[in-house]
Amino acid sequence: MTVPRSFPVFAVVFAVAWSVVYVICVEKNYALFTYHPATYEFGLGVQKAKDGPAMYWFGWMATSGLVAGAIALVACWLPESLTRRLWSGWSWVVPVAVMVVFCYLLRSYFLR
Amino acid sequence: MFTVLLIIHGLLAVALLGAITHQALSVWLPARKPAGSFIGRFRSVPATSYGNAIVVLYLVTALLGAVVYTEYRVVVRVVLEQLDMWKTNGVFELKEHFAALGLGVLPAYWYYWRTPLLGEHARTRAVLTAILAFVVWWNFLVGHVLNNVRGFGS
Repeated sequence: MTVPRSFPVFAVVFAVAWSVVYVICVEKNYALFTYHPATYEFGLGVQKAKDGPAMYWFGWMATSGLVAGAIALVACWLPESLTRRLWSGWSWVVPVAVMVVFCYLLRSYFLR
Repeated sequence: MFTVLLIIHGLLAVALLGAITHQALSVWLPARKPAGSFIGRFRSVPATSYGNAIVVLYLVTALLGAVVYTEYRVVVRVVLEQLDMWKTNGVFELKEHFAALGLGVLPAYWYYWRTPLLGEHARTRAVLTAILAFVVWWNFLVGHVLNNVRGFGS
C-alpha cells in the first residue's frame, strides 16, 4: 500500500494535536455533541443531563478528531523544507506528557 | 445484548493484549539466540507482522468498548458513585482517557511499523509500541476489575 509522502507529517502532527486538543476539550468541556444513554438521545454541543447522566466523551473525541485532523492536514501543506525537520519523537513525547497530565487532573479521585 | 457485547469486547481485548505484548517484548527484549523456552519464543516473534492486526483490533475493541460504555455509565458508574468508590471510578476515568490518547497515536504507530522499517525511527516505533502496550494492559485490567466489582449480569 502506497501512502502519500506527507503522511508521516500528518501522523506526527495528528498525534500531537489530538493529545493537546483532547485534554483541552476534557478540561473545558468542548464536546461536539452530548449523548444521553438513559434515553438513547444525541444532542448537539454540551447539554445538561436529563433523565439520567450525560456523556461527553464521544463529543470530546469528535471535537479532537476534527480539530486535530484539520491541523494535521494544514501541516501537510507546509513546505518540505520545514516539515523535514519535524522530529518523529513528538508523536510519543506529547501523548505521554498528556497521560501524566490526566493523572494529575484526576488526582482527586485517589486522594479522598 | 450488552452482556454479549461485553464478552466480545473482552475476547477482542485478549487478542489485542496478546498481539501487543508479543510485539512489545520482541522490540524491547529481542531474543538474541534461537529461543528454547516459552518466554524466549514469546519474544522472538516477527514484530512487523503484528502492526496491521493491532491497529484493527484496537479500533474494533475501542468501538465495542464505546458501545458498552453507554450501559456502564447508566448501570455501573452511578452505583459506584453511590458507594463512594472513588478510586474505582478514577481508574476508569484514566481508562477512557488513555484509550482516547491511544487512538490518537494509531496513525503514527501504523506508519512507523510499515515495511521496510526505517532504522532512524526505531526509537519512535519502540516507544509508540510501549505506549499502546501500557494502554491496552491498563484498560484490560481496569475493565476486568470493574466487571468484578459490579458482578457479571447484576
